[in-house]
Amino acid sequence: MRIYVHPLPVRIWHWTNALGFVALILTGVQIRYVDLIGLLSFRDAVHLHNAIGFVLIANFFLWLLFYLFTDKIRVYHPELDPEKHFRASFRQLRYYGYGIFKGDPNPHHLSVYEKFNALQSMTYQIIMLLLVPLQFVTGVLLWDLKRFSGMVDFFGGVRVVDTVHVLLFIFFTAFVFLHPYLASLGHTTFGHFRAMLTGYEEVEEAPGPQKD
Amino acid sequence: MACEAPAVDEIRRILSTAALALAVGWSGGTIAADAPAALAEADQACLACHAQEGLAKTFGKGESVSLHVQGEAFARSVHSALGCSGCHSEVDLKTHPGGGKTFATAREFSIAQAGACRQCHEDAFEQHKASVHAARIEQGSALAPTCTGCHGFHTVTPKTAYETCVTCHAAALAAHRQWLPNAALHHEVVSCAACHAPKALRMVDLRFFDRATKRWVVEAAGAQTFGKLAGAVDADGNGLDPAELASLLKQVNPDAAALPKTLRGRIELRSNVEAHGLAAKETAIKACDSCHQAGAEPFQNVTVSMTGPDGRPVRHAAQKQVLDSPLAVASLPEFYAIGGTRSRLLDLLFLAALVAGVGFPIGHLTLRWIFRKGKGR
Repeated sequence: MRIYVHPLPVRIWHWTNALGFVALILTGVQIRYVDLIGLLSFRDAVHLHNAIGFVLIANFFLWLLFYLFTDKIRVYHPELDPEKHFRASFRQLRYYGYGIFKGDPNPHHLSVYEKFNALQSMTYQIIMLLLVPLQFVTGVLLWDLKRFSGMVDFFGGVRVVDTVHVLLFIFFTAFVFLHPYLASLGHTTFGHFRAMLTGYEEVEEAPGPQKD
Repeated sequence: MACEAPAVDEIRRILSTAALALAVGWSGGTIAADAPAALAEADQACLACHAQEGLAKTFGKGESVSLHVQGEAFARSVHSALGCSGCHSEVDLKTHPGGGKTFATAREFSIAQAGACRQCHEDAFEQHKASVHAARIEQGSALAPTCTGCHGFHTVTPKTAYETCVTCHAAALAAHRQWLPNAALHHEVVSCAACHAPKALRMVDLRFFDRATKRWVVEAAGAQTFGKLAGAVDADGNGLDPAELASLLKQVNPDAAALPKTLRGRIELRSNVEAHGLAAKETAIKACDSCHQAGAEPFQNVTVSMTGPDGRPVRHAAQKQVLDSPLAVASLPEFYAIGGTRSRLLDLLFLAALVAGVGFPIGHLTLRWIFRKGKGR
């Protein structure tokens, strides 16, 4: 059966974010390694990087406002039970690292309010509420260091701000490779990709509460 | 010499001449209120007349050049030790005022006076001769600066090139904002000549800044502590390495609770003399990657400095590794230039992220394939 798990605003946010992050990484690599790569001039890469960054900041608020003002926020916390959440995360991790090779079934059962497995839910919250905002803040500070000199000093100086920005860039670079691969581990290789386009996921059984 | 006109000025001129004669003939006489004791007696004698406000040299078409000298300011200038005759050796006291070469215009006089600077600053003079400023003078520009246009007359003190340049080029920042990202920051941390003297060699100067007073740290007169301290820390004399720089910072900041004196970096010319060879703006460096790439020329030479009591920097060499070492996050939190100070450690982490990002899916997929094959058998 088909269930509607990705509302339109989420899909718009997701694909804008996906394309934007890839573009930010590519222009970021061009800016940082201008001596090794010559696809764009340094100045063009900086201007493009800045422009895409601001688009993604606006896009972030689309995501934030959607979840803040709809009940869909429950997808991140189906049950406010940290112990259960960590146990489920560990079970999911064990599935990816061991069970999947033996042909075990995915321990996560998808439903409208449980579209993320516990590992995704935790990871995405860290990414969306901590890492992405931190990347945006450091990016905006670096965009105009004079204007934000007070905040730059508060964070410990331009090198500290830049080092945080680069460390997050390194993390997101790994993420853009890992994320599509993990997305291919659904019930079919392209099932999750199709769902992020149409909004509908194919599930094998009627959605129900997740069993421990 | 044709001094300011009518009767009062004429009387003043006569009195001044008399005072000059007295001063020259009668050493030890106190002559003018604006004649600081720090100056030599001969200079004080000159100030007997030249300390008077309004004293001026006039030319045709109503042009005039002030001959007024502020004694106190001159005493504080870098040239005070030279005395008046150091630059004005052409003045013959037997005929002064009134003798000497005559000039048709103030501009002609100003250009001729540059010869006095040349006596000591021949190298800078030669650079200036090949500059866009000299070319404009040659073309008859009334605005292009001679030596005094940038450095002033009798109050020459160390000041930043930026302060000097924007005196005339007031619209420079607005013009740079049209194309240069972070233009205001570039104007703060890159010397104008670093881009506008494109053939000159550049360097990074890391200067002590006091975060408590929000000013450059200025060494107390006679202390000379920075030079000694840096020399002691750099015991092997091969320039401060990253660990030595961290040690120097600790010694400059003995009170860990106080706001620290930090190092702020600037791109400057290795030789200030070359700052006089400013080229036409069309030939100025506009390519960002001349600085913003690993191994860029300005980042190959590094100095650590503190402003000396006279305003000039006291410098000590540092190794270029201080800029991209992992220790730089703590030692140089306020200096970073994309590419130029790129950290190798972060490069390795980026490489590791790429390997992990590509390698994990391939490895995981391979394991799945192997297990599925095994199960099939």
